[in-house]
Amino acid sequence: MVRFKNRWLLVEFLPIPSTPQSGAVAQTIQLNLDGRQIHSVLKQSILSNYGDIGWGAVALSLSVKYFSPTTNICIIRVGREQHKIVWGALTLLDGLEYMRLIPHVVHVSGTIKHVQLAAIAHNRTVIARYRAMANAPVAYQDSYDAYLESSNRDIESLED
Amino acid sequence: MKRAFDNPQPTNYKGRKKQKLANARTIAVQSPITANAVAGPSRLGPIVSDNMKRLPGAIDVEKFAEARSFEINAMKNAMEAASSSSTTRAWQVLPRHLRRRAASHNPRRVPLRLRDKARAEMDPLKRKALGRSMPKLGKQKRLPKEVVFMGRQRDKRWLETHIWHAKRMKMENMWGYRLAVTPTEKAFRPSHRASIRGSILHDASYLSLIEMKGPEAALKTILESCCDVQDISPGAKRYTSGARVCKTHVYAPDRYPFELICPVTIMWKPKPSSPLSDDTSKFRKADGKDKQKVASPEASDNTRTLWICFHPSPFNEVFSALRKSTSQVLEAAGREGIILDVEMADIRGDIGIFEIMGPKSNQILRGALSPVMAEASTDFKQFWASLGNIQSAGSVPGGMVIGFLVNDPRLRFPPKNAKVQLPTGSNISPPVGVFPSAGLAACNVWEQNIRNKLKRPRYQTKDINQRRSKNLIPGTPLNPLRQDDRIPVMLIQTSLRTSTSNDTEAIEGWTFIFPAGWSMAFFQQLTYTGTRVAGQRERKTQAFEAGAAYFPSDYPSTSAYQTYALTRAEGEKGKWTRTPPAKRVNYKKLGTHSPWIPDWKVVLGLKEMANEPITDEENEDADMQDLVTTQREPEQSPEQSSQNSAANDEPASRPWLLRGLEVSSIISDLSDALVPGQSLYSIINRLRTKRSLEPLESIGKPDDLLKTALVLVRITICSKGSPSDLSLVYSIPDLELQEWRKGLTKAGSNPGPAGVEFVDLPDIVPSPNSIIGYITTGGFSLSRGEGFAIGAVPLTRLIELQQQGQRLSHYVKSDKALLVKVRDRKGHQCRLARIQVLQN
Repeated sequence: MVRFKNRWLLVEFLPIPSTPQSGAVAQTIQLNLDGRQIHSVLKQSILSNYGDIGWGAVALSLSVKYFSPTTNICIIRVGREQHKIVWGALTLLDGLEYMRLIPHVVHVSGTIKHVQLAAIAHNRTVIARYRAMANAPVAYQDSYDAYLESSNRDIESLED
Repeated sequence: MKRAFDNPQPTNYKGRKKQKLANARTIAVQSPITANAVAGPSRLGPIVSDNMKRLPGAIDVEKFAEARSFEINAMKNAMEAASSSSTTRAWQVLPRHLRRRAASHNPRRVPLRLRDKARAEMDPLKRKALGRSMPKLGKQKRLPKEVVFMGRQRDKRWLETHIWHAKRMKMENMWGYRLAVTPTEKAFRPSHRASIRGSILHDASYLSLIEMKGPEAALKTILESCCDVQDISPGAKRYTSGARVCKTHVYAPDRYPFELICPVTIMWKPKPSSPLSDDTSKFRKADGKDKQKVASPEASDNTRTLWICFHPSPFNEVFSALRKSTSQVLEAAGREGIILDVEMADIRGDIGIFEIMGPKSNQILRGALSPVMAEASTDFKQFWASLGNIQSAGSVPGGMVIGFLVNDPRLRFPPKNAKVQLPTGSNISPPVGVFPSAGLAACNVWEQNIRNKLKRPRYQTKDINQRRSKNLIPGTPLNPLRQDDRIPVMLIQTSLRTSTSNDTEAIEGWTFIFPAGWSMAFFQQLTYTGTRVAGQRERKTQAFEAGAAYFPSDYPSTSAYQTYALTRAEGEKGKWTRTPPAKRVNYKKLGTHSPWIPDWKVVLGLKEMANEPITDEENEDADMQDLVTTQREPEQSPEQSSQNSAANDEPASRPWLLRGLEVSSIISDLSDALVPGQSLYSIINRLRTKRSLEPLESIGKPDDLLKTALVLVRITICSKGSPSDLSLVYSIPDLELQEWRKGLTKAGSNPGPAGVEFVDLPDIVPSPNSIIGYITTGGFSLSRGEGFAIGAVPLTRLIELQQQGQRLSHYVKSDKALLVKVRDRKGHQCRLARIQVLQN
């Protein structure tokens, strides 16, 4: 049986602010990106770097499955034979018109399950890094948990 | 997202299903507008171009964590939804060991809670076609099940647990029984893990059992003339009390060290100091008959009973050996005017034997069996209390026998494993504190009349189920009544190990012995909580991983091995002949002269290797077969022909296996001796006189004894490769061995200088004369993580290897290991391996 094999890329888009920032590390830049926008930007990049042949090879199987504007994490599906074209085009991606982007490929795998697992692991390392920087203890409980518990109890007592 | 959104509310089933599938495949995204939190940049380094970095406060970290945690949750939910949406059928949620083949069209094959769902999923057309809507007629006209099953057992016997095994395992006819070889599901690694970390059970009721009755001194003499002289005599005090079982090997009487037959387990019936008639009076049964123990009138005599348990393959040989030995002893006594009465009986099929290996077997046994505490001795109570807490069966003295009475196992079905309760504050389980004794080992399973009474259980399983349904609270275990059966059972500590003192590779467990008729009841009780079940292949793998020799495949000179090797060779050769030449291994080209059966005579040097080894008879031309050669047959010189005939006829040149507890010391003595033949001869005679056997008559040259000796060895591959069965073992000439050794110590191999032809060491073709042995069982050992094998080499070659090791140890002071080359019979590359004597 012929199976269509895919490669799933887990990409994180790191925004580069146009003006050098001073002071706060933790200033986040809101990108008004969309899945479709990413797809079109990627298409432009492939067309310009690999030409029509490149785009023709990739077009059928390329799709952006997930994109989250809050964390800038994107999951892209490509066919197995053409994934290097897309990866290369990603790397050569400069950015959008108004802002520079650095795409950072975190993980590549053959199933979406492993990409999801890799996304989970990536997020956890980032949180752990932040906590380490803030010198928070390892088993740090966010203050929201206590609030959640108390509010839950309040709601349940209301029902009775 | 790229996916176009469907109709918001599809009405038909297909549309809804499609929507459900599409939902399962999407990952939820946290929209930035509604979210309170924003995720910070994931990389803090190169993005920030400023030197003044402000550390993120705690609140910022929380905001970032919240945003990212939404994504983590979304991913997890998406994964679960996707996997659960793909399993559509009811039986797909069941684990592999509960799935049945007919579950897709027969809802009765699925557990009760899923039956409705399965019935709903079944295609209604198919349901009609199966004809389940109408009941089957003619049930009264059918032959009863028992008749049908007995008809299938004409040329073979089934064990009591046969049907359970037949549904789950591949079965084969072996030694007159239909036995399970291996489970049908993939179970090689899980079975190995179960034997070293969990528990695994094997129904060994096919083992042959011989009962001997007679005066103690006579039995001792009979056994001592047959058994291995290097072991402790089976008539020693520690065994005759019945507290321990004796594991030894049986030879033909007076023929030690030739004619090894098989390993045996000898159990003496315990002769307790207090008379056992007190126990029998408490033993009440519904029919009111008073059971007298048969042993009590004989307890005053010196009559003892013993059981000899061994592999079924050489049954006739063992029986005739014992019979011959008995007649010798009776004759000798008769000459002195004493009349002895020794009985020998074959009691195969009277008892059931289960082998439960693995450290969890203690908890399983503790949880599954409910002993009758009212009649138990204090020793047993103490033992039973500590059974659940000991780390493995190895914590108990080796070969210890514990006999007790259990209630009907079906009363407390389903069982629960005992939980380990260690004393607070310690990780080490306390020692058992109970020593083997005849009182602890006393058990009524030795009594024939009690076994016969228990052959038919008093209550059938349906009666017990009815009783259970009458319980007020469903699920409470039944209390044993007066009329319920009480079954005498025995637990014997067994271990698969070599005889070296510190053995970390041993696999320990219990042998569970009970009267016939109760196999299925105990089997279900023991297997319910997750014990794996082993077939012949798993049992062999257990012995292999423990580094112990397995009978019959690892005992080269016995006749049981001969049968096994010939059957295997026939099968493999037939398969090879049926394969077209382009798709099969070309043994002639590889130089493997005997690819299907190890040729011990060639290895020992007794026979010259045939020049034209493999002939494929079908490939020869039809014309050629009619022709007769015009050449005269090459004249065999008279001494050659007589030698050949002598080699075949004379029993002195049949290979024999040098084994025993003292093998290593014997071999080291021999390698130092000037005339090893004479030295071996004197050692053997010393051993024989220890058991008051006559010394061997000189069989021509004492060198013959040395030349025909085989020794079991363990072979460990040094770096990569896994030796398979029937691989060839070669010795390495000195120069080559130094090259190999250099390769061992260096991390990587440097290629030779440019311009020089460099033959890789594995590719060097060994000369056919350097073959020193075959591997009987080999493979990749999971517990060691490297290739491992058990094989046999001649004693002379082993001595030569030791001398080679001493010679070359001047140069390399690192290891004293003896090195050999191993070549797979189907390949041409040789791998370096360490060789070591196997203490059996």
